Amino acid sequence: MRDLAADAAKPPGARLAGAMRLVLDKAGPAAGLVLLFLYFGLSTAGFFTKDNLIYMALQIAVVALLAIGETFIIVAGGIDLSVGSVLALSGVTTALLLTHDTPVALAILAGIGVGALCGLINGLLTTQAGLPPFIVTLGMMGICRGLAKIWTDAQNIDVSGSPTFTRLGSERVLADWVPIPVLALIVVALISFFILRFTALGRYCYAMGSNKEAARLSGVNVKAYTTVVFVICGLLSGLAGVVQAARVGIGQPTGGMGYELDGIAAAVIGGASLMGGVGTISGTILGALIMAVLRSGCDLKGVSPHLQDVVIGGVIVLAVLVDRIRQR
Amino acid sequence: MLRRALPLLVLAVLLTLAGCPKPTDTTTTPTDLPKDPTKTETAPPAGEVYDIAVVPKGTAYSFWKVVKAGAEAAGKEFGGKIEWTGPAEETDVARQVSIIENAISKKVDAIVMAACDAKALAPKVKAAMDAGIPVITIDSGIATDDALSFVATDNVKGAREGTEKLIELIGGKGRIGAIPFIKGAATSDMREEGFNEAVKGNPTVEAVEPLYSQGDAAKAMKAAENMMTANPDLKGIFAANEPGAIGAAQAIKQRGKAGEVKLVAFDAADAEINALKDGVIQALVVQDPFKMGYEGVRLAIEAIQGKQVDKRVDTGVTLVTMDNFNDPAIQELLFPQIEE
Repeated sequence: MRDLAADAAKPPGARLAGAMRLVLDKAGPAAGLVLLFLYFGLSTAGFFTKDNLIYMALQIAVVALLAIGETFIIVAGGIDLSVGSVLALSGVTTALLLTHDTPVALAILAGIGVGALCGLINGLLTTQAGLPPFIVTLGMMGICRGLAKIWTDAQNIDVSGSPTFTRLGSERVLADWVPIPVLALIVVALISFFILRFTALGRYCYAMGSNKEAARLSGVNVKAYTTVVFVICGLLSGLAGVVQAARVGIGQPTGGMGYELDGIAAAVIGGASLMGGVGTISGTILGALIMAVLRSGCDLKGVSPHLQDVVIGGVIVLAVLVDRIRQR
Repeated sequence: MLRRALPLLVLAVLLTLAGCPKPTDTTTTPTDLPKDPTKTETAPPAGEVYDIAVVPKGTAYSFWKVVKAGAEAAGKEFGGKIEWTGPAEETDVARQVSIIENAISKKVDAIVMAACDAKALAPKVKAAMDAGIPVITIDSGIATDDALSFVATDNVKGAREGTEKLIELIGGKGRIGAIPFIKGAATSDMREEGFNEAVKGNPTVEAVEPLYSQGDAAKAMKAAENMMTANPDLKGIFAANEPGAIGAAQAIKQRGKAGEVKLVAFDAADAEINALKDGVIQALVVQDPFKMGYEGVRLAIEAIQGKQVDKRVDTGVTLVTMDNFNDPAIQELLFPQIEE
C-alpha cells in the first residue's frame, strides 16, 4: 500500500502487479471471514436468517465507526486511545440534552460536536505542543471518562422519553433491510474510503505515516493535516456515541470501555500497521466484521465468554503474523 | 524513534488495561499498625463521630446511590461520618483493593464494603480486621468468613423467586434464558444458581445457555439479541441486574416482542421502571439497597462499640409488577427519598 501513489507513474505491467498485490492483501482476511461465515452458518440454526444478519450488522456499527476513525490516525502514523471514552462522553451529552427537552437534531449535533472538539484538542496538543499522540490520547481517555461521570453523577441517563431519538437506533430503511445505524456506517465508510483513496488529505495520510519528515520536506502541511485527522476520528467517535445511546436507550457514562482496543484490533486485523503508512477502510471493515462474526457466532453456540476472549486475542496475533510472513 | 517504540507502548497499555496485578505495598503491613486504644477498645465519649469508609462495588448504577443514602441515614442516626469511595466499574477489582488498603492506612474506625471479587478482597478484609478495624460486608460478600457480618439480599432465594414468577408468566412451560453479569462474581453466580434451581423445580421448563452482560448495557443487548436468534422459541428472559435488564428490554422492544418474550429483572433503576410501565418488563425483583447501607453502617457502629453483631442479615426482595406498583410501600421502595 505504501507505494500506491507511485503506482500511477509505473508501466501497465507494474500497475497490474500492484493490483494483484492489493487483491492478495485483502484475500487473507476476506477468506477468513468467508470461512467463519460458512462454519457458523452451517453449524448454527438461525445464523443465516435475515434478522440475525441485520442484528450482526447493528452490533458492528458502533465499533466499526470507531475503527474507521482509528484507521485514519493509524495510517497517518498516530494512535488514538481516547475513542471509547469520547464515545461515552458524546453519548451522555446527547442523552442529557434530550432529558432537558433539547430538539433531537440539536442534541445529536452537540454529541458529535463534543467528539470533534475532543479530537481537535488531541490534534492541537499533538501538533502544536509536540506531545506524542499516545500520551495525549491516553490523557484524553481519562479526562472524557471522568467528565462523563461528573456530568451524569455516574448514573445512566434514560432517553426512552424521547422515542424519536431511540427510533434512530433501530428503525430500518431500504425495504426494511438496513437499520439507520448501519446506513450511517455505510455512508461513513464510503466517504472515508473516498477520502483516504482519492483526496490530497488521504494521500498525505499515507505520506505522513510512511515518513513524516519526508512529507514535511515535500511541502505537506503536516501539522494542519494531522490535526484534521484527529478531528475526523473524534467526530466519528462522537457519532458512534450517539448511535450507541440511541440503540441502547441510555447515555451510559461507563459505556465504550475497551472499545478503543476493539477499534485498533479491527484496523490491525484488516491490515493496518501501527508503524503508520499502511491500512485501508475496506480492510478495517473486514476486520470489524471478522470480530463481530466471531463474537456473535460464539454466543449463538454458547461458547464461554472467557474462551471468546482467548479466540479473539489469538485471531489478532494470527492476522498480523500472516501479514508479516506474506510481506517477507 | 517514537514510531519504533509505539508497539511497545501499546503493549504496555494493553497489559495495564488487562489489569496486571500490582506489587503490593509492603511499607505498611496492617498488623504492624499501632492500635489506637481510644478508638477501638473503650467506649467513646458521647457525641463522638466515627469515620466509616463505605466502599461500593461501583458508582455508576442508581442501586449504589440508594445504598449511600441508607448508609448516610444510619450515620446521622448513630454517629458515623461516611466516607464514600468506590471503583467506577464493578469489574475494577484492583482499584477496590487499593481503596481498602488506603482505608486501612488512614485508620478509619470501620469499613462497610461490597466486594467486587469474593476471593481478591478476602485478604484485605482479614488485614483490616487484624488492624483492629471491624469490617461489615454488604450486598456482595467475601470467600472467607473474616468479616464480622454480611448484610445482603439472599441472592439465590431472590433469583429463585423471580424465576418462578417468570415461569408463571410464560404459563408454566417453555424455554427461558438467564443473562447474569460476570461468571465468577459471587452475586452473579448466586443469581444464576437461583435461576437454575427454579428451572429444575419445573420439569416442563428448559433453560437455554446463559449469556453474560459483563455489566454493560450494550453488551447485554447483544447477549439478548443472540439468545433470541439462537432460540426462536424463547419464552422468557431473566436479567440478573440493571445493565442486563436495560439491554434485554431494549433488544426485546426492538424486535417487537414486548410482552411476547417475558422479561423479569433484578433491581429497579429508572430505565427499568419505565420498561415495566411500557410492558417490556413484566416483573422486577427489587432489593432493599437502602436497608443494606443502613444496616451495614448500624452494625459497623455497634461493632466499634464492642457489641455482638449478627453474622448474616437477609435484607429480602420484593416482586414488583404493575399489579402492586402503586402500593405506598412499593412506591417508597422504588423511589426512596434521598436527601442530597
